[in-house]
Amino acid sequence: MAASIAPECNDIKEKYDTCFLKWYSEKYLRGNTSSNDCEALFKNYKGCLNKVLKERGIDAMVDDARKSGSSETDAEFLKKS
Amino acid sequence: MKFFENNFTYDYSFPAVSLAYFLRYPNPYSRHVLTTDVIDRYVDPKTQRLHTIRLHLKKSKIPSGILKLLPKGMGGSDSSGQSYILEKTIVDAKEGWMETESRNMEWTGILSVVEKQCYKRLPSEEDRLTLDGLAVDKSSEQTSVKTTVTFRSRLGQGKLLGKKKHDTGDHEDEEPRKGFFSSLSTAGIQRTIELIGVSRTKEAVLKSKEGMNIVLERLRSGGVVGVLEGMRQDREAAFGPDGTWKRVWLQGKDRSIENDKS
Repeated sequence: MAASIAPECNDIKEKYDTCFLKWYSEKYLRGNTSSNDCEALFKNYKGCLNKVLKERGIDAMVDDARKSGSSETDAEFLKKS
Repeated sequence: MKFFENNFTYDYSFPAVSLAYFLRYPNPYSRHVLTTDVIDRYVDPKTQRLHTIRLHLKKSKIPSGILKLLPKGMGGSDSSGQSYILEKTIVDAKEGWMETESRNMEWTGILSVVEKQCYKRLPSEEDRLTLDGLAVDKSSEQTSVKTTVTFRSRLGQGKLLGKKKHDTGDHEDEEPRKGFFSSLSTAGIQRTIELIGVSRTKEAVLKSKEGMNIVLERLRSGGVVGVLEGMRQDREAAFGPDGTWKRVWLQGKDRSIENDKS
């Protein structure tokens, strides 16, 4: 599994990733889309990760990038070109 | 602004391709990808579509051709040789499509690269009758992917540093180094930077396809377990048993200090 940017989160990330792969291939792709088997693991992983992102000052950059949606960018592109 | 477009067809079912997309790092063609994290993931209760936001940390350097065009001092501080990529994915398993969008998060004023991919299940008789989960053994099933990459430089337009927050563009950034390429207008410099981006991307798109094919082949022969075993070997071959984590941690610390200064 791909490593986490935060080494201290690797163990919980691996548990979450494994859970997700199982859920995705065995449930989601087969139409059982409302199940949320991995929610608790994801919460733990996110808690670990968010702390590190904040410490390193990456959290604000992520928020900004998330906001730059494709529609906005496309409109901007059309206006300028 | 420049565009790059590519169309390709995988000889694998849509469920397999979408799973491989989430599982694609590490693979032998992704040694430049240091880490991958899931920032957010949820199923939209209305559409049943799966939304995923991931953060990748990749080894990369601003090409020397671009560095030459930047104002003095710019780019020089980016000695970490790493860049953050934000990837958004939406999967609709019922309709058999997946859309992805990846963008660089830093230096977006110098060059913003946005890669969009649209994966679609190619209709076949079997597909119409049933969605058979991970039907990787059905060689008849295919998935098409259209890749579009947009390159845009805004150098000299008051938006030099994408990572500067709330940059309203009121103040003009330093002009590009016209002295060096005195014949180039700002538009010419932007175009040059965009073209360097295009040429680098052609190779990257090809490599990422090779990587996906390896992951898909591992899925076909060994299922998810086969992919995970392959990954473990790739990681050890590339970084040693735990080398990557230590190194990223050290470099990550450097980076946070750098951010404090700016």
